[in-house]
Amino acid sequence: MASASRLSTSVLLTCAAIGVATGALSAGAGAISGPVSAAVPILYGLVLGVHVLPGVIAQELLRRPWVALITHLIAALVASAVVPLWIGRYIGTALLIGALQEGIAALGRYRRWEAWRFFVSAIVVGVVIAVPIWFAADVSRFPVWGQIVYIALFIVGPVAWTAVGLAIGAALRRAGVARSAQR
Amino acid sequence: MTALERDPSASAQAPRPAGAADPPRAGTPLLRVRDLAITHQGEDAATPAAVRFDVAPGEVVLLLGPSGSGKSTLTLALNGLIPNDVPADVEGTITVGALDAAAATVAVLSTHVGMVFQDPDAQLVTGTVLDEVAFGPENLRMPVSDVLDRAEAALRRVGLWERRGENPDRLSGGGRQRLAIACALAMGSPLLVLDEPTANLDPQGTEEVYAALAELVAAGDRAILLVEHNLDAAIGFVDRAVVLDQDGRLVADGTVDAVLRERAEELHEMGVWLPTSALAALRLRRAGFALDPLPLTPAELHAALEASPAPASAPLSTAKPPLLAEPTSDGTPVAHGFGEKGWSGRTEAHHLANPIITVRGLSVRRSRREVLHDIDLDVPRGEFLAIVGANGAGKTSLIQALAGVVPPPRGSVHVDGLDVGRADARTLASRIGFVFQNPEHQFIANTVFDELAHGLRRQRLSDAEVRERTEALLDRFGLTAKAQTHPFLLSGGQKRRLSVGTALVAGAPVLALDEPTFGQDRARADELLGLLRELNEEGTTVIVVTHDMQLVAEYADRMVVLADGRVLAQGATADVYADAELIERAGLRMPPLAQALRAVTRHPDLARIARLSDLPGGAA
Amino acid sequence: MTATGPLLAAQVPRMAVDPYADAVTAAPVRFLYRLNPLAKLLAPVPAMVLLVFVRDLATPLAFLLLAYAVLLIGVSFTRRLALVLLLALPLGAAAIGFGFSLWTDPAHVDQSVVVWQIGSWTLYGGALVVGLATGLRIAAIVALALIAGLSTTGPDLVRSTVQQLRVPYRIGYTALAAFRFVPRFGHELEVIRQAHRVRGAHGGRGPFAAIARWSGYIVPLLAGAIRHAERVALAMDARAFGAHPDRTERHVVPFRARDVVFIALFLAASAAIFWVLFPWGLG
Ligand SMILES: Nc1ncnc2c1ncn2[C@@H]1O[C@H](COP(=O)(O)OP(=O)(O)OP(=O)(O)O)[C@@H](O)[C@H]1O
Ligand SMILES: Nc1ncnc2c1ncn2[C@@H]1O[C@H](COP(=O)(O)OP(=O)(O)OP(=O)(O)O)[C@@H](O)[C@H]1O
Ligand SMILES: [Mg+2]
Ligand SMILES: [Mg+2]
Repeated sequence: MASASRLSTSVLLTCAAIGVATGALSAGAGAISGPVSAAVPILYGLVLGVHVLPGVIAQELLRRPWVALITHLIAALVASAVVPLWIGRYIGTALLIGALQEGIAALGRYRRWEAWRFFVSAIVVGVVIAVPIWFAADVSRFPVWGQIVYIALFIVGPVAWTAVGLAIGAALRRAGVARSAQR
Repeated sequence: MTALERDPSASAQAPRPAGAADPPRAGTPLLRVRDLAITHQGEDAATPAAVRFDVAPGEVVLLLGPSGSGKSTLTLALNGLIPNDVPADVEGTITVGALDAAAATVAVLSTHVGMVFQDPDAQLVTGTVLDEVAFGPENLRMPVSDVLDRAEAALRRVGLWERRGENPDRLSGGGRQRLAIACALAMGSPLLVLDEPTANLDPQGTEEVYAALAELVAAGDRAILLVEHNLDAAIGFVDRAVVLDQDGRLVADGTVDAVLRERAEELHEMGVWLPTSALAALRLRRAGFALDPLPLTPAELHAALEASPAPASAPLSTAKPPLLAEPTSDGTPVAHGFGEKGWSGRTEAHHLANPIITVRGLSVRRSRREVLHDIDLDVPRGEFLAIVGANGAGKTSLIQALAGVVPPPRGSVHVDGLDVGRADARTLASRIGFVFQNPEHQFIANTVFDELAHGLRRQRLSDAEVRERTEALLDRFGLTAKAQTHPFLLSGGQKRRLSVGTALVAGAPVLALDEPTFGQDRARADELLGLLRELNEEGTTVIVVTHDMQLVAEYADRMVVLADGRVLAQGATADVYADAELIERAGLRMPPLAQALRAVTRHPDLARIARLSDLPGGAA
Repeated sequence: MTATGPLLAAQVPRMAVDPYADAVTAAPVRFLYRLNPLAKLLAPVPAMVLLVFVRDLATPLAFLLLAYAVLLIGVSFTRRLALVLLLALPLGAAAIGFGFSLWTDPAHVDQSVVVWQIGSWTLYGGALVVGLATGLRIAAIVALALIAGLSTTGPDLVRSTVQQLRVPYRIGYTALAAFRFVPRFGHELEVIRQAHRVRGAHGGRGPFAAIARWSGYIVPLLAGAIRHAERVALAMDARAFGAHPDRTERHVVPFRARDVVFIALFLAASAAIFWVLFPWGLG
């Protein structure tokens, strides 16, 4: 059987719950991303950063392989069902960010979960997303300071949202949530 | 309940040994539990501990025990969810058919043991009724035609085949729980295990579920193991009862007659919930009525009373005066039971002169539809008021408007002189406290202490005073030892007490609760109601929305009946219940005790009693 | 094991969309509904990726036309389609284009035409062209994504990821079960907000009070959500979920010859556009 089958149904559904609940936030971010990219495009990175949340919360709470990717994937599938308009965008972002977060956690062999590892994946995610958007939005036409701020915010966004995610994960642990699914 | 008429001789046999001669029940038992002890991860005591019993084909077994005795734990172990999904240490053996549960997977066991859980919504996975029932057989890799055959058979048995194409969301609560039963049937398992299947349902839904179960029982091809606190509805078709005590040990295993009728007193003392009619009969026995065998249903109690002469030793006249008698001038508390300050102790005029809440011309709109129409209401100070009505009648909308959770139109609601429509949250909190159905929703701090202190800090009190008053409250609610615990880590009953505490901390004279006992077990419900009664006796005005008609009868001074967003009736509880036709019209049911006593001709003094505490015999 | 948060679905306000709803029945010419979701999702991807690196006006315009043509023929003409294609997208593109032209460094653009001048700041025609190109490019990418978005239902997408992409079915069905979480959690969030408001948690105005308020909702929401999820997991396992490496599939979402044809045609059209307009020679 595929590797994910080693995860119990309860872990899968916990991922789904995290995905759906944070999906509400992403939906909010999606709603303001249009106006933001029109009015203050250099702030876009800050808004886009919210998409790291599902994976961060899932990893911090459950500390298991695959949970980041699965949470992202389910969040995207559910979001696509509710707002089919953005199917492509949801799936693409989910796979990209989820795979990056999994990769970084895999480097720690899923045994080490220090906060800095999360922030490293946040920076990698920021860079990886900033590049295509750099081209799509033709940022090289911005003044130099604009380019710097733009790229900086693509890093700052995911990092800030990662900090938020870690705080949420820690709060949930304190509240005794998902004890049996944790490791 | 159609099953009430089942042949009582079927259940009157002695406990069946395994492999009894009874032809359809011959052979090995479906389920054999031996010396079962289960310790949850992180707990030190086993609940259940050392339990043994069998379930034979076609049998209906009721599993009883006080809260925390391990009933749910036991049911989860029967199909392997414990220890496979919920980590726990399992000792002893469970044999399902010919399978040793410890050696089999949950998937294999699921074809032998079908499960129905408490919350119907937590059992839905797919988009249509048909897909839902097909889900299990599909997981078993059955061919499509077999899947459809099974799904059809199961849906027809619970009466949902006509609605197979609908989204399960459209079904009522009872409908969704019948769907869950169909899903369990479709697994093809000969044993069905139901853990409090009606705890989340309103009376109508409960009736639907029991009608469906009664039909299953009548067909006789499935054995049922039932955990249920709502015995009034269930007792009619149960063959046998297995009882656990507080420590999870087996204390009784036998027929309903041998266990429930003979040992009722003992079970009651252990904290096992008994049918209302049995509780009433125990009390009446103490008053000298000869009620033998012990009646368990309203119909049985009614029949037994009609057959029994009035006791010579304890004439009814020494008991509490019957309801609706002339009010006594002094209202002296009667020595026994609760309800001292019942309806007979006060006069209507005295109350209404000084209402704490007045509602005038209240209309409430939700999503552009008017759901409450022109409500006028007075709530006298210091009363215990119940708001009842069918689903969607507007109870929640009304109580939320009273408490300002959803601000009502200006001038329509006044609480203690304050216009709720204009008040800000802080002022409002000092007049009326609101307790939400799920306590977790209203917790905002990280410790129990801060949770209570929040309301005081908002009043800008000095730190010393906040500390002092918070500690007093912690003590009062029995939470001192938990002061530094995260609110989410409390037990269900403790969470509920804390939520009541947070609503009261600002000193509000009124407490409003929306379905405070919905989905709760009896022990917790009783604990909460005891607390509410205490507060009420100290002068707090209490308003509850509830579907539990017996609760209303026991605790409420007054009740308001809503139907379609209008007040159908309001008044003293006994007066409202006196009009059976009106209760029926509102889509409600009479409380079980009133059902049993209403038409008793032989003892006219009993005929209008609705509360257990008003029955004679309570002094014992 | 007792539920602390019972919630009748009857209390959950009806969702505006039913994520399980079947696809609309439409005339045969509305061919997009009868294609595999993956075909619709993947066929435009190469064009979308290449569009990122395009700088001219003509290429995005051509793809915009292609996407509009496919959509106008392929899906039923509804109010929603009209709103999206004729209003939201053009307006969005215009707004983004204008926004970007304000941010473009005037030193790097053609300054022959002055559109707008406020004090020392000037909006040159060149900047407007650059901004407009960006707006068109983004609009074209979005329009291509809409080909799948406007003609696919969530469950079909999930099923095709399981049936064609071999995503483990346990993940797919977890997603299907999770569709139910959406209205439930939405309702729960509403109740939590009311409860916190009544308790006066983080009153006050302004963005910081709002952030404090929302952060107070997250833990109760997630805690309730995860507990509900655990109960659903028990109910699924009790019905043999995951018993075998595969399961009977009654809803087949086939990948047929017509899907191959659609992908091939779409790729050919994309290639043709790039070939004819070859947008990279111009710099
Ligand atoms: N997942 C769990 N982890 C740890 N302990 C648990 C868990 N579930 C139940 N327990 C504990 O096991 C004991 C038995 O609980 P169980 O829920 O089986 O009782 P019950 O008889 O069903 O009670 P109720 O009538 O309240 O439903 C209790 O002390 C409870 O606290
Ligand atoms: N947020 C809402 N939006 C739209 N309609 C609503 C909303 N809340 C309630 N309603 C409708 O208002 C009416 C009254 O609802 P309310 O919740 O007050 O009834 P209730 O008596 O509390 O029912 P229940 O017994 O199911 O709790 C119902 O018809 C309901 O569908
Ligand atoms: Mg239980
Ligand atoms: Mg209600």
